[in-house]
Amino acid sequence: MINVSSCVDDFPILKRKVNGQRLIYLDSTATTQKPRSVINAIVDYYENYNANVHRSVYKLGEEATDLYEGSREKVANFIGAKREEIVFTRNTTESINLLSYTLGESLKKGERILVSAMEHHSNILPWMRFEDYGISLDYAGLDDEGHIDMEDLKKKMTRETKIVSIAHESNVLGTINQIDEIGKMAKENGSIFIVDAAQSVPHMPFRVTENTDFVAFSGHKMLGPMGIGVLYGKYELLDKLPPFNRGGEMIKDVDFHQVSFEDPPLKFEAGTPNVAGAVGLSAAIDYLNLIGMENVRAHEISLISETLDALEDMKYVKYYGPRNPEERGGLVAFNVRNSMNVVRNLERNNVKVDKLYHSHDVASYLDEKNVYVRSGHHCAEPLARLLNISGSARASFYVYNTHDDVKSFIDALGGLGVQ
Amino acid sequence: MYNDEIMDRYQNPLYYGALEKFDLKIDEPSSSCGDKVTLYLRIKEGRIEDMRWEGEGCIISMVSTDMFCGDAIGKQIEELENMDDSALLERFPIKVTSGRYNCVLLPLKAIKKLKKEK
Repeated sequence: MINVSSCVDDFPILKRKVNGQRLIYLDSTATTQKPRSVINAIVDYYENYNANVHRSVYKLGEEATDLYEGSREKVANFIGAKREEIVFTRNTTESINLLSYTLGESLKKGERILVSAMEHHSNILPWMRFEDYGISLDYAGLDDEGHIDMEDLKKKMTRETKIVSIAHESNVLGTINQIDEIGKMAKENGSIFIVDAAQSVPHMPFRVTENTDFVAFSGHKMLGPMGIGVLYGKYELLDKLPPFNRGGEMIKDVDFHQVSFEDPPLKFEAGTPNVAGAVGLSAAIDYLNLIGMENVRAHEISLISETLDALEDMKYVKYYGPRNPEERGGLVAFNVRNSMNVVRNLERNNVKVDKLYHSHDVASYLDEKNVYVRSGHHCAEPLARLLNISGSARASFYVYNTHDDVKSFIDALGGLGVQ
Repeated sequence: MYNDEIMDRYQNPLYYGALEKFDLKIDEPSSSCGDKVTLYLRIKEGRIEDMRWEGEGCIISMVSTDMFCGDAIGKQIEELENMDDSALLERFPIKVTSGRYNCVLLPLKAIKKLKKEK
């Protein structure tokens, strides 16, 4: 058992000092830091077990294969799936692109794909490309607080809608979407239901259900290394899909003009895979299991509650997404109103002025105080357009963040209110 | 935020506003962060007689554009087109992190578009 309140000591990078001060890392939505156990697992793999997998008959090759396949088993158990339903990819983006280039092949002119207006580009662009072939991309709208407008979603789920692909948790609004309900609707409609779980699998208990056909997530957003991602797919669906990349590892038999492909998941894993990445992800899951995903979720609710309470009191801060911490993950995107003095001066000089600080300026200001937040449109530009903002700053939490971090963040942000 | 020099220049730009008569107008949207700037140039025999700007964006990109106009007036347009990114970054009064390089470089990107179009 690892206690979430003291686990910060397990993360070497968080001991680093910048200008003599500790760094406050609030960008775990982009990528998470790695505990020593994950770093050690990767080093141990390269020092003791490295060999190519699956086709080696010697000892090292067998051990590397066992580690790689053991990781697959661990990922499967973590989300309640079967081993053969777990495909290793590079990241969420590649997982969804894999579906675009396999599942998408069967789409016909006049058919439709449904996403929501809060999607990350990685769950928009793989589908937008079909518009060139007469296949429509529809966006379910949002309500004022940043939930999916379920009436609009229902309306846009038509007989022609073959694919419904929705983020479990928005990487900007933080909204946790009702994927059980949406999945049920999609199934009743006869659509394939895909869950972009990049922001949910790392942060809360997650189980696949009979309604979830495919699930995509990334290792590096859940304490694992970069370059390893996951695509879950129901076996009978994976079995029917054509292969994605073609080459080594993914065949049973090749003749000069004929090939028979491997069964899933290997059918989708052409080329030498990221074995060290899988080993690191396995160690990350061990670490998360020692904390307990219910405890991860409870910790983030506690941090985001405190943050939202503080932001509510800062009249010059506007944040986005639901007010109720239970309805959102441990992240908050926000903008800061420009100081009245600055606005007055700009207006006196007839300079067209935005009433909000640019999010990059806010992030640079916080950077000077060793508080690391992200800024920009967070790869969800359509959502920024919908909110009518050029972008936002975003603070996001994970297991290693503390109430001290929240305080440092709020204190630093307070400096912008008095300028 | 930043320092007094930057904040003063941001609030009191010297070259803001469209030119009534101009020979060139360049629009440069920065797709990655929503900034956009329009440059107005009056040119005689390849030499920049006047240069003004309008736009919206972060403090760094607005200040950099205003300073860029000041530096550009009197110079040959070719000289600006051939300017290195590093030269502009060095001339900027504060050191920015690499994530903000594009903010500083916004006006130069606009000018370099001319060369590409030639």
